[in-house]
Amino acid sequence: MDPAQNKLLEGLLTACARRDQAAFARLYQLTAPKLLGVAVRILRREDWAEEVLQDCFVSIWNHAGSYSAGLSAPMTWMTSIVRNRCLDWLRRPKLEVVLERSDDDAEDPLDEMASEDPGPLDRLARLADARALADCLGRLEVKQRQAIMLAFYDGLSHSELASHMRQPLGTVKTWVRRGLERLKGCLGSV
Amino acid sequence: MRYRNNAKLQDKLAAEYVLGTLRGRARLRFQAWLRDDAALRRTVAEWEARLAPMAAAVAEVSPPRRVWRAIESRIGTGAAKSGFWESLAFWRGWGLIATGCAAALIGALALQKPQIVEVPQVVEVPVRGMQASYIAILHATQEGQKLVFVAYAPRDSDELWVKNVALGDAPAAHGYELWGLPATAGEPPRSLGMLPKVEKGTIKLAAVADQSLKDFPALAISIEPAGGSKTGLPTGPVIAKGDCLKFW
Repeated sequence: MDPAQNKLLEGLLTACARRDQAAFARLYQLTAPKLLGVAVRILRREDWAEEVLQDCFVSIWNHAGSYSAGLSAPMTWMTSIVRNRCLDWLRRPKLEVVLERSDDDAEDPLDEMASEDPGPLDRLARLADARALADCLGRLEVKQRQAIMLAFYDGLSHSELASHMRQPLGTVKTWVRRGLERLKGCLGSV
Repeated sequence: MRYRNNAKLQDKLAAEYVLGTLRGRARLRFQAWLRDDAALRRTVAEWEARLAPMAAAVAEVSPPRRVWRAIESRIGTGAAKSGFWESLAFWRGWGLIATGCAAALIGALALQKPQIVEVPQVVEVPVRGMQASYIAILHATQEGQKLVFVAYAPRDSDELWVKNVALGDAPAAHGYELWGLPATAGEPPRSLGMLPKVEKGTIKLAAVADQSLKDFPALAISIEPAGGSKTGLPTGPVIAKGDCLKFW
């Protein structure tokens, strides 16, 4: 997100805090497609993702006053709201998610991430604001990177990671923990 | 608490919280700590700043117009009421439900015995022996709108005959709860009872169908804890919904 875009979104959030509905509509226009993309990716169902998006924007409207530009960039703040809401949503009974994640699903969207495929990493590397992160992700061990990306993009828990990556739970937990530690170290040094 | 004064543990928990691998009770406990610990909130914000750029690589999905309309209606009045009735999923595809009703109706009739053994040949003329009844045909709320559930009750009976066509079993320790949806928007749904755990069975209504069902042009099914929703309102996902018709 370039600085001008950041400033624009910050301004819109500030206006939302003053109950400016036109600013809110503009904010929605600018950010909803990306945020819906994040939610669809985690929840795998557009109807659920749309519902989460709806709740999140109502929440953004209601809490715009508590947004602190000093603490987070606007897109980071909104992305976190959406991801947290998705993760809370996944705590619901999982009947349908389980069905849709069955093994005979030929087009398992996890496959893209689970392979050695550098696809998302490549996409990240092309984005100016994510280049440092892409670089640091690229320096992780393959398994650490896969575990972190599956958890972030697809909302997989430790046990889901273990079954998807066919590894013991403890091993996967270690990959995630060490991967995050190394990521932090790497990002701190670039 | 162990996490306090342990910066390393706090950082690890914050990282896993932001990544999304902190789940279940640990996640809830962490959220509770966050509420009264500004330093921990900063640690979380730092991790969000580290990881959130990953989201930039996600493909955008254009929201359909109904999402914005739903948001507008929720914030528009200033009342910002949130709840089941405004739930978007709930209203999705409402108009599609009528499609295929006729076929489903015949299916619903066919499974009924002993009162109804024939499929009506001419719809306007009730088949001899047919009772005036309520019939509900529910479709999955997810993609496909598959027929998943039918119900039937003679208007003077307090027994609702139900057939689980394709709902499958409820998740462990959960059950399916059937709801009546009032015609007036804003009025909360009313529980009609838990579905039996068999393919075909009955639900004992609080009163004869003519009283218990006449106010509900539609029914819905949600996933609830085994004993039913504790709040008297649907709390789990609505997995099926459809019209409830008078058949006379």
